[in-house]
Amino acid sequence: MKILVCIKQVVNPEKVEYNPETRTIKRNAQHLMNNPADLSALEFALRIKDVYKDVHITTLSMGPSECESKIKELIEVGCDSCVLLSDKRLAGSDAYSTAYALAKAIEKLGNFDLILCGESSLDGETSIVPPQIAEYLNIPHIAFASNIKVLELQRIEVERKVKNTVFKFEVNLPALISVKKESSYLRLPKLSFMIKALSYTPQVLSLDDLENFDFSKVGAEGSKTSVDRFVEQCFEDVKCEIYEEIEDAQIECIADLVTRFL
Amino acid sequence: MEYFLSEEQKIIKKLAKRISDEYVSKVAIKYDKEGIFPRDILDLLAYTELTGVYIPKEYGGFGGGVMEMCLVVEELSRNCAGVAVSYAATALGAYPIILYGKEEQKKKYLPKIAKGELIAAFALTEADAGSDVSSIKTTAEKKGDYYILNGSKHWITNGGEADVYVVFAVTDKSKGPRGISAFIVEKEYEGFYCGKKEDKMGIRASSTTELIFEDCKVHKENLLGREGTGFIVAMKTFDRTRPGVAAMAVGIAQGAYEHAIRYAKERVQFGQPLSSFQAIQHMLADMYINIEAARAMLYSTCRMIDSGAKDFSKESSACKVFASDVAMKVTTDAVQIMGGNGYVKDYPVEKMMRDAKVTQIFEGANQIQRNIIASEIIKEY
Ligand SMILES: Cc1cc2nc3c(=O)[nH]c(=O)nc-3n(C[C@H](O)[C@H](O)[C@H](O)COP(=O)(O)OP(=O)(O)OC[C@H]3O[C@@H](n4cnc5c(N)ncnc54)[C@H](O)[C@@H]3O)c2cc1C
Repeated sequence: MKILVCIKQVVNPEKVEYNPETRTIKRNAQHLMNNPADLSALEFALRIKDVYKDVHITTLSMGPSECESKIKELIEVGCDSCVLLSDKRLAGSDAYSTAYALAKAIEKLGNFDLILCGESSLDGETSIVPPQIAEYLNIPHIAFASNIKVLELQRIEVERKVKNTVFKFEVNLPALISVKKESSYLRLPKLSFMIKALSYTPQVLSLDDLENFDFSKVGAEGSKTSVDRFVEQCFEDVKCEIYEEIEDAQIECIADLVTRFL
Repeated sequence: MEYFLSEEQKIIKKLAKRISDEYVSKVAIKYDKEGIFPRDILDLLAYTELTGVYIPKEYGGFGGGVMEMCLVVEELSRNCAGVAVSYAATALGAYPIILYGKEEQKKKYLPKIAKGELIAAFALTEADAGSDVSSIKTTAEKKGDYYILNGSKHWITNGGEADVYVVFAVTDKSKGPRGISAFIVEKEYEGFYCGKKEDKMGIRASSTTELIFEDCKVHKENLLGREGTGFIVAMKTFDRTRPGVAAMAVGIAQGAYEHAIRYAKERVQFGQPLSSFQAIQHMLADMYINIEAARAMLYSTCRMIDSGAKDFSKESSACKVFASDVAMKVTTDAVQIMGGNGYVKDYPVEKMMRDAKVTQIFEGANQIQRNIIASEIIKEY
């Protein structure tokens, strides 16, 4: 079985710096991290590989060459190969352009049985890249999965949790599934994989490597949306109350508040 | 400080540090309080393949040496020496097999130890034979194809938890230390029981128990090395594992030092953080100097051993003595810097001071180490 996992390198929100002039986020290697929801998706792929021996996991990322150092971390947990789609002409691409470029790269890389994505990226949160890739590739798509089970070689079961209800889907492969962020946590690396990662360089694709590529669909020019401005949220007004002695009624209020957020 | 570790050693240290910070730190206080054996952490070490770092490649390990083993022990000890010693005791049980095991013994045990499927232990000490190792009384009497073991062992780390034990017993009483032999004993052998579990001052996550042998039948295939070489097996093993105790000491000291610095910067008295008082600054500086010196000595000793040197008892003992004394001093000072908060169980330094103490006692008390060092240097000059 061939599995492809799309993994974006995003800026760690704790280290984020904006460039107000270009209205973009500053990206340098130390500030990057692999998008958490995508790592959830990767964990599902690795679980399938734990059970079925001839599973091959490829990851696909799109971004500048700085992403390579983070891509190595994917080899450290057990991915077989990693691909980076990197081209200056992609700069400024929105979700629509990104989905187009990724779909073209996936076509180029070959026939995958299962394509996994995270539900959304930490820095964009649009959730529209996965369904768009599926549309381009003309394969079924299930969003916000909370669990994936292989039923037989070309058929999987996908669970999606909505509040207290679990929806179960069965789908024939090939299919694209996007995975909820907290549905699984990526495992620890293994020493032998870390040693492999030391000398591993991801395969780098440029747009010239892709077939029948429509350059007018990517980059800032080809995008259908653009960022107007960034507004920093201010939390200074939030008041904190400290209760020295607490009464039953107050406990109930707090309990009510806590359960509402669970 | 740049320690000039190889890329692979840096990876081992980084991976062990991650497990220590993300997992060990979360359970250290609970496991210490309740005396819980850290099987879950050992499972993580097995998954990440750190259990096999010091095991030769041909037996499924990573092929590193004492240095690699020490890097893991040091990082685990930064958060919990009890967890670290549970890992290190398997190395103490595995080294006799690496050094003196017959090919079949190595093939049978080492790959499983490397994978973390087997936990090992080393059983030498007895109630009346601590520092005076050669006076052990457990006997191994040969009857046909078997040795019959009788006696008991005290203070055995991983006792009751380990699957394989390297046990030392007297095969010929008339020969003194040359009448001691080493055996591999598996946990389900008939006549082998685990006795009382010790209620210890520190390293409370580790299991320390008595072992009892009542007509325990051990096949002659399980004799390690030749009959009568047990004392040498034990001493040559200690030469390689005492740096492990030093690594534990360096890790404990590093952990306490990090807590003390953070606390000194935050705690305000007389309108200033503690870290602005020179008396405290000098304590912190001394901690740094001593830890770096201990680590430098530890790493050089490991490199010497792994380079294939022949004699290194003196160096191995010296780094154990120095690092354990540093750990005791640094943890005591960390408690002092943290005042009342250092003395209560809400902060980890109280535990670290208790944990540090045992590094001056086990694998040969520091007095015995100084005897070893002295006899070597007097011979040399
Ligand atoms: C937590 C723990 C775990 C242990 N794990 C193991 C294990 O896994 N396997 C194992 O075989 N053993 C183990 N031991 C035993 C350990 O190695 C011994 O405790 C140690 O060697 C000291 O022996 P003793 O306790 O009998 O002290 P003793 O030999 O009675 O010595 C007591 C003190 O007297 C002094 N002393 C003794 N002889 C001399 C001398 N000749 N010159 C100067 N001073 C001297 C020293 O200060 C020493 O500390 C463990 C011990 C502990 C506490």
